[in-house]
Amino acid sequence: MNCIEHENISGEFRVFDVRSNKRKHAHVQEKYTRPPANPPREKIMPTDQDWPSVWPGPRTFHPASVPLTVRQGMDKNQKIAPPSKYANAELMKIPNFLHLTPPAVKRHCDAIKKFCTPWPNELDTDENINKHFPLKIITNDYCYSSPKIRDPKARVVTFKFPLSAMTLNNHAEDKIKRLLGERFNQETGEVTLVTDRCPMRRQNYDYNMYLLVALYYESMNVEEWEAEKQEEDMEYYDWEKNPSKKAYIALKYWPKPVDEIKIDEISLENDEKAQNYKEAVTDLFNKGETTHNLFKYKEAVLKIVNDEFQNLDVGNMCQ
Amino acid sequence: MNSITRNSFRVTSSFIRSALTNPFSTIPDTAETLAIEEPDKLYKTIEIELKGNDPEVMKSYSKFAQMAADHLEIKKGEFKKPLHERNNLCLLRAAFASKKSRVQYEIRTYFRYMNFHHLTGSTADTFLEYIQRNLPEGVAMKVTKLEVRKLPEEITKALESTNNHAQ
Repeated sequence: MNCIEHENISGEFRVFDVRSNKRKHAHVQEKYTRPPANPPREKIMPTDQDWPSVWPGPRTFHPASVPLTVRQGMDKNQKIAPPSKYANAELMKIPNFLHLTPPAVKRHCDAIKKFCTPWPNELDTDENINKHFPLKIITNDYCYSSPKIRDPKARVVTFKFPLSAMTLNNHAEDKIKRLLGERFNQETGEVTLVTDRCPMRRQNYDYNMYLLVALYYESMNVEEWEAEKQEEDMEYYDWEKNPSKKAYIALKYWPKPVDEIKIDEISLENDEKAQNYKEAVTDLFNKGETTHNLFKYKEAVLKIVNDEFQNLDVGNMCQ
Repeated sequence: MNSITRNSFRVTSSFIRSALTNPFSTIPDTAETLAIEEPDKLYKTIEIELKGNDPEVMKSYSKFAQMAADHLEIKKGEFKKPLHERNNLCLLRAAFASKKSRVQYEIRTYFRYMNFHHLTGSTADTFLEYIQRNLPEGVAMKVTKLEVRKLPEEITKALESTNNHAQ
């Protein structure tokens, strides 16, 4: 085709080439050859280089920058070796920890160490901590990827402390236990106050603090209506004020009717059987019915009844 | 024990300790120095719960957290690895009809628990910020802090006065 575009050769008739434009372009066009690419950087990386400088932060896996011959993935049909790292989507998908190698972590920690403070030596055991700092405050923080940075569960604040940390007199202790209800654990003696009524954590914390102080002062307060407390409201069993004492005295002074005896004036402190019986009945009520307590009660009652039988005037009984 | 105060570097730039000069501060040396002594908090335990889909990633992250704790001299507690939770789904394989052919999927959530003991407020904030900044994708974290404190002043003062009365 080139011969047509040459200048006239020895006076030959020049044929007009209609498609000359295309030819011209075709002639000018050279095939584009890519410049030769450099070899991947990893091949010329020295082995003693500073890796944290090469990979300072979290980054998708880049095969040409990582001098490791890693392979990832599998081809279950062909049973060939796992694919190499170049153009390996599996390697790119997973998070890598190349930015957190041990020397890098050490370097980071050395840089942030100045912001830390040491734990005081005096608080080495749990006992010491509980003695000086009895109040425990439990809060939760949440960190995860989400459309919003807040989590509503983070507002919950829990206060825990042993009731013995507040030295209360008998009345105050009873009153605070009634006020706390389920929040007081009888076995461990620990009070738990959980607050989530406010939208922000700071508000819940302040409310809990207020609650704590209010509980203390309320329990120390003696209201007028508290004087109306009756035997049924008592939290513990007092033998002196209960019919059990009356029953014992009736048996002791039989056949004299109980109304004539002034129960309050009789002192049973020297009466060993009475004290035994008192202890047995009180334990049954206060500490619960166990086989041991029931046995003790049986012993105490038998002692009273057997002795009384021996002292009975048979003549009076037959009347 | 009463002299534990919050690390001054962590307090906002308006508070400068008169004794130290922060080389990165833009506030000139001649400015008024306010040394506000905020007492450091005390955390008896910090428990970090991790939830994720990839157990290997969580294993690497736990190792990283341990390394960081060792460097910052934080006491490590129990590191638990309970069994993963499974969520199995049995769905229809085809978009239309073919009720007989199904496909089953399982979604697994893996857990890791890391406990650290005896941290001060400054240490805890530093450590947690560093850990959380390096939290990988696909892992969720829940931090439970157990702070120890004295009972509020109103109560301690009242207790003191009652003790004095008793004496």
